[in-house]
Amino acid sequence: MERKRSGRRYYNKRKKTWTQQCKDYLRQFIAFLFSNIGIICLVVGYTIAGAFMFIFIESAPGNSQGIIDLVTANRTGTVARLWDLTCCSTYYEDDWRTEVQMHLRSFQSHVIEAVRNFSYEGASKEMERWTFSGSFLYSLSVITTIGYGNVTPRTLLGKLATILYAIVGMPLFLLYLSNIGDILAKSFKWIYAKCCLCRSCKKRRKRMLALQRKEQWKMDMRDLKLNTGVLTEGEESDDEGTTDGSSSLSFNDTQEVTVPISLCLTIMVGYISGGAVLFSKWEDWEFFDGSYFCFISLSTIGFGDFVPGSKITGTANGSGSIQVSFILCSMYLMLGMALIAMCFNLMQQDVVMKIRTCTDILRRITRCKN
Amino acid sequence: MLMDMDFDDDTPNRCTTLVYYAWKIFTCLFLHVLLVTMVVLYCLLGAFAFENLEKAHEIEVKNSIYVMRNNVTSDLWRYTRESLVLYQDNFTTNVTARLEKFEQDLIYAIRRSGWDGEESTAVMQWTFTGALFYSIIVITTIGYGHIAPKTLNGKIVTIFYAIVGIPLMLLCLSNIGDIMAHSFRFLYWKVCCYTCTRRQRRVQSLRRSRSQRSTTRSHGSRATSLKRTGRISQRSADSALGMSDCYTRSSYSDTECRYYDRMEREYAMFGGVMPGKAAPNRYSQQSRYSDTVPLRRHSPAIKPRSTSQNSGPRNNANYYHGRYRVPDPNYSDGDQLDGPEMMQQVPSILFNKYALDRDESRRIRPKQGEEIRRNLRGHSAAPNLATEKSSTLPHGAGTSRANSSRSKTPQHLAVDMPPMMDDHDPDDYNPRPKFRSRHRNSNQTKRLEVMAPSPRIMSPLGFAVNRQYPRRSPRYNDYYDDSDAYEFDDNNPDHIKPVPIWLCVLLVVSYIIMGAFLFRSWENWEFPDSAYFCFITLTTIGFGDFVPAQSRSNKEGDDIKLRIWFCSLYLLFGIALLAMSFNLVQEEVISNVKTVARHLGIIKDEDDEESE
Repeated sequence: MERKRSGRRYYNKRKKTWTQQCKDYLRQFIAFLFSNIGIICLVVGYTIAGAFMFIFIESAPGNSQGIIDLVTANRTGTVARLWDLTCCSTYYEDDWRTEVQMHLRSFQSHVIEAVRNFSYEGASKEMERWTFSGSFLYSLSVITTIGYGNVTPRTLLGKLATILYAIVGMPLFLLYLSNIGDILAKSFKWIYAKCCLCRSCKKRRKRMLALQRKEQWKMDMRDLKLNTGVLTEGEESDDEGTTDGSSSLSFNDTQEVTVPISLCLTIMVGYISGGAVLFSKWEDWEFFDGSYFCFISLSTIGFGDFVPGSKITGTANGSGSIQVSFILCSMYLMLGMALIAMCFNLMQQDVVMKIRTCTDILRRITRCKN
Repeated sequence: MLMDMDFDDDTPNRCTTLVYYAWKIFTCLFLHVLLVTMVVLYCLLGAFAFENLEKAHEIEVKNSIYVMRNNVTSDLWRYTRESLVLYQDNFTTNVTARLEKFEQDLIYAIRRSGWDGEESTAVMQWTFTGALFYSIIVITTIGYGHIAPKTLNGKIVTIFYAIVGIPLMLLCLSNIGDIMAHSFRFLYWKVCCYTCTRRQRRVQSLRRSRSQRSTTRSHGSRATSLKRTGRISQRSADSALGMSDCYTRSSYSDTECRYYDRMEREYAMFGGVMPGKAAPNRYSQQSRYSDTVPLRRHSPAIKPRSTSQNSGPRNNANYYHGRYRVPDPNYSDGDQLDGPEMMQQVPSILFNKYALDRDESRRIRPKQGEEIRRNLRGHSAAPNLATEKSSTLPHGAGTSRANSSRSKTPQHLAVDMPPMMDDHDPDDYNPRPKFRSRHRNSNQTKRLEVMAPSPRIMSPLGFAVNRQYPRRSPRYNDYYDDSDAYEFDDNNPDHIKPVPIWLCVLLVVSYIIMGAFLFRSWENWEFPDSAYFCFITLTTIGFGDFVPAQSRSNKEGDDIKLRIWFCSLYLLFGIALLAMSFNLVQEEVISNVKTVARHLGIIKDEDDEESE
């Protein structure tokens, strides 16, 4: 890949005009954007752009203020009615209680309506809804299709923007996932092959492979009615060939190693519990709630019953200041989804390998019977 | 498979093939039905489990609301009693503070404790229908969050339920998407465009049938390439597939036109679309080869091409070599990894396959006994091997320098044959080529992994994206080939002629708009809101700000149940539809993006990835 690019660069050097150079730089820039590192920048940049866009669209004055005013007015009205009830009428306790209950019930239904239809979450939260961090998390939850739903657009323009943003953003994120997942899978395989499979194990594996091959040939030879005398010699030459090629084959061999499913599962569980520890520290959740949140997020289900709250988004202590925990949370989500993609990639390869072995065995059995 | 083979042995004619296809259809249908049934049962199971787990907690929460309000009343009463003189200011501040607290409690009850805002225990969230809806929401990863498990057990069960359910659902959806894609393609090309494609179809179908055979052949070779079993076993593994056995045999015993006729009918049956590009040209080439088969070994003009691919099934490296570097004047335009070109290379294997078949059949026909089967499977006939060997050799000279000197003369062929059998040769014919072959093979797979990145099956968008086109990666394709559900995909190189993108986009958009109209009438939402809801649902984002069957206005239980069922059906079908259109569109999108990227000057590896 690198070589190709440099070749293209060399080719482009011939033309020296200013516009050509500009074009070349543009080209290289675009090519960089879709390379492995560039795609990360692209996704982050897209999310940040989305965050600003949604802040601009949704935090228009009077938008969130309206619902706060509504709830406040309702509250004041209820208080006034209660005062009227208390002061201006002679009362018995039972009558008073039923009256108050009735008023409270209407107040309650108002609040429920506000929560249901306008996703009202209290006056304090209302103001911090479309801060930068909240908006960033919203953009991230859209393009990852997590969709927590704690923050949702209310204006028509916001909804339209969300749809368009998702249409562009989701393929972009998929591209990011596939790129990063691929890189992760490769490096993980390499590490696994280097560290976990020692050299002797590898050799044993190869020998077993060779043995399998021998058996297959033996079978074929039975079909072919050839004498098996040549077989022993074949063994030696085969070993020779593998040792010869071991140096140049090393990288490719590591890529052909299949990582066992249990290891992938361990990685996923480890990642989730690591996130659970982090989130339980930041958000004062219980450990299990933290891991539940991590799972629901990383599987992109995203119920939204637990969301990274004010402590993470940093609005609790200062207005709009971005905290380390917020950056870590976003990184956790983005890296986690790539990691899950990687694990699924590896698991799929393993499963495919096993299925194929099974079918081959089946085929051989059927053939033998025939 | 065994049974089929027996059938084929007895009467290798049209009837058995029919039985064979019937069996295939049956297994295919059975598999799909089984999968769908499994998903439905899984949902029902989840519904039962979650209903039992969460119902008690919901009742508890509902009762706690009443207690909460009573507490507020008592507090207010206390304020009133305790103050000797009742000032309005004091009272107002106190009561306002208390009401704010009450409000917070209510919000907490709704957000965290999963209260639905309804106090009476008659209207429940965790009814059976609600729990079923919840199960569907979980395993499709939509996750509205309007109902979520609140108990510890419920959460644990949800996690494990999702771990098993999501891949199951994806598998099911991708299967349904495949079926729908096939039928839609069939509808589009056979029904809508019947007249315009009618003229070309005959020629194309001929070509198709040949490419079909080539794919089955390569299927077998791939199976062995994985195990690195060497050259000879390829043919035997190939024949172990009942399918290829059937094909080869029918091509021996029947006349060719009969064979094609059957193939054509089969494609019509499965909604295949005939590949359109350059079919007549290819066909003429094929026919030329089939006619010149006896001359093949002596004709230098034909030899290089046919041999380079003839050697394919026998040797892994040569196989890939032949696949990817076909010296085809028509289609090799430099970049070997291009999608359309890859597709065109699949048929480019086939004429020599065909020639090989003819070669064998020519040899076998005189015998005509029960030895035929053995010959086919083990291809033990020495002359047969000799011919194959002879055809292999020039290519071997191309790939390995070591054997180039001695392998050119035809009189060596018979001598070389036994070493060829066991992949061992005293005079350095085989060890080195073998090593080279493996090296090349691994190189190839490495590059293929770059080409085909990441989880195709487990796409995070919620549906599987099968790469149905160029079998550039043996790894992924083998997965599909091994499962019977994809058998028809394997046989169908009909993705060459895709359904136009705009049609698929139109389909999805109209589905969303239809859903928007329906939900508007059902839920009394605004039209943009319901369109927004449909989009958010089908992309599996699932904010949960709009959730069907949640409105407080009408509380008829049956109505809500019906609406939940309807909504579930809508979203399941919609996601399958989305998977289908992805399936249909991706080829063209990839090639389009590739063209754009080429104009921009981005290299090919990247723009392939770009077009996810």
